[in-house]
Amino acid sequence: METIIEARHLNKAYNDRVTALADVNFVIWKGEFVALLGRSGSGKSTLLNILGGLDAPTSGEVRIDGNIIDFSDRRALIALRRGSIGFVFQSFNLIPALTAQENVEYPLLFNYHNRADRRERAAELLSLVGLADRAHHYPREMSGGEQQRVAIARALVGNPFIVLADEPTGNLDSKTRDEIFTLMRQVNQERETTFLIVTHERELGRRTDRVIKLLDGSVVS
Amino acid sequence: MIVGRLIDYLMAAAHQVTRKRMRVFLTALGIAIGVAAVVGTVSLGEGVRYQAVEAIKEQSDLTLIEATADIRGGAIQFITPAKIGELDAIPRVAASSAVVREAYATKRQTYLEVVGIDPGGIEDVIRPKYLKGEPLEAGSRQTVLGHDVAETLQRNEGIRLGDAIPILIRRYDENGMPVDEEVAFTLVGVLQDRDDAFDQAMLIDRGVAQELRGDETAFDGVLIRVDHPEAVFGVVDDVKALGLTAEGAFQQIESVNRLMDVVVLILAFFAGVSLIVGALMIVNTMVTSVFERTREIGITMAIGASPGDVVLLILAECLYIGLIGGVIGDLLGIAFTGAINTFGKPFIVAQLGDTFSTFADAEITLITPEILAIGMAIAIVLSLASGLYPALKASHLNPVTAIRTGV
Repeated sequence: METIIEARHLNKAYNDRVTALADVNFVIWKGEFVALLGRSGSGKSTLLNILGGLDAPTSGEVRIDGNIIDFSDRRALIALRRGSIGFVFQSFNLIPALTAQENVEYPLLFNYHNRADRRERAAELLSLVGLADRAHHYPREMSGGEQQRVAIARALVGNPFIVLADEPTGNLDSKTRDEIFTLMRQVNQERETTFLIVTHERELGRRTDRVIKLLDGSVVS
Repeated sequence: MIVGRLIDYLMAAAHQVTRKRMRVFLTALGIAIGVAAVVGTVSLGEGVRYQAVEAIKEQSDLTLIEATADIRGGAIQFITPAKIGELDAIPRVAASSAVVREAYATKRQTYLEVVGIDPGGIEDVIRPKYLKGEPLEAGSRQTVLGHDVAETLQRNEGIRLGDAIPILIRRYDENGMPVDEEVAFTLVGVLQDRDDAFDQAMLIDRGVAQELRGDETAFDGVLIRVDHPEAVFGVVDDVKALGLTAEGAFQQIESVNRLMDVVVLILAFFAGVSLIVGALMIVNTMVTSVFERTREIGITMAIGASPGDVVLLILAECLYIGLIGGVIGDLLGIAFTGAINTFGKPFIVAQLGDTFSTFADAEITLITPEILAIGMAIAIVLSLASGLYPALKASHLNPVTAIRTGV
């Protein structure tokens, strides 16, 4: 199997004092559905941000799809976020001024797709997440679960091969949590998109292919 | 491709702008008031300029120009027969006539400004209207007097139409002693009041003037009649291009223009101070807006926007503020000039007095499409410039901290 994410000796320290990550090593295979478990403060979000090119490690190496990420090359990082990686956030983080459809189209704006193409792909993804009938609703008119579905559609619209989700179900009730989880799993299986999901809920961890546990900035299993 | 992207950004920005209509409107109003002040004062200045120029055109003989010798690069450009031919060949010159200028005095010491000119030139170039009498005959010692000088001579010396005017021409003999020769000119015509230099002129035949001077080849200038007032400045430029000096009523327009340029500039400058206030309002609004949307901007960057994209998105919002401000500003400016015309005009006319009585029935403000376009351009450029700092501030946000800490 091909590796899609490879982290080697990742260290991240803030102000030379607080160690967020300490010698993190792991490999994620293409098409895997992995949970990143850990208590708050264990460095999960920091790790996710580094993998997504939003933050830089103090030392160590990250390979995405075989290529070493140069964290000093801002253009390369932007290209990584545009083409390879989709983000899903805990608090959905849709743009309030835009409708569901426009929110899903939004990343394609920076990928310079033409309008017709954007519209078509966004509509396709909205029906994938089961919200075709809510396309013209604004985030404030939708429930948390619906907003997170839109956010997942937005993460997928650029056809990334990795989706990084930071506590995507953290703000949802248990039933909706299940639905969102099932949706992500379905996307993972149908599209072979690799998922790395940060969570602190062990129960969800059981339903993934594999669990990477972080404790005080180090991988423990 | 790039245009399509900009349109996309404008459409994305439109969503933000329509969400905060009141804020955008109030901010745009700040710029609009500045634009209105500039449009209003500039159009008042332009209106006054226009009226002053019209008054000059009406009161003076604008299309009459005199080309005279000039010193260029240390060499005097004489009026030669060749130059006369070149002047006559300038496009839009209806007629021209070389002249000789002399200063004579009557026996009783009345000073006379003499213009020696072909009788035909008098008709074609000066185009005089006769108060009384008739044109002078070529080659004769006859004269036609300007309105004012005729009046002076009649009052002081009792000279009337048909009388001889005794003139002393001073010459110097071989010992260098002055010798006055008396020459008599018969007054055959008097011109109507013209409000220009010809009111003081004594017109005589050019050949006679040259003969009395004792130099039959030199000329002092060429009078030029331009076919239309609009063409005057073009002809003036052509005359200057020949190395000659141009004089005439157009110089009054030139000095009015020079004065009004300064006046309009100063007025616009002070009006423009309010634009600074408007610009600061935009900076304030956009800094607030960026702060409020810190998280949103972080997200936008996380999903693939480059710092450049963020700058363009914020500037696109500023463009709307500028467009709205420009339109409202132009409309307010038009309303402002209307108010000046209605309420300010009686005051201005009273202050300027009779000279500018033409103002009373005219609009004293002049709004041209150029002024409105400049108003619009000021609003847009200023809005974009004001948005630059907030936009750069937004583009320098760290997406991680923006998403984590943003409101």
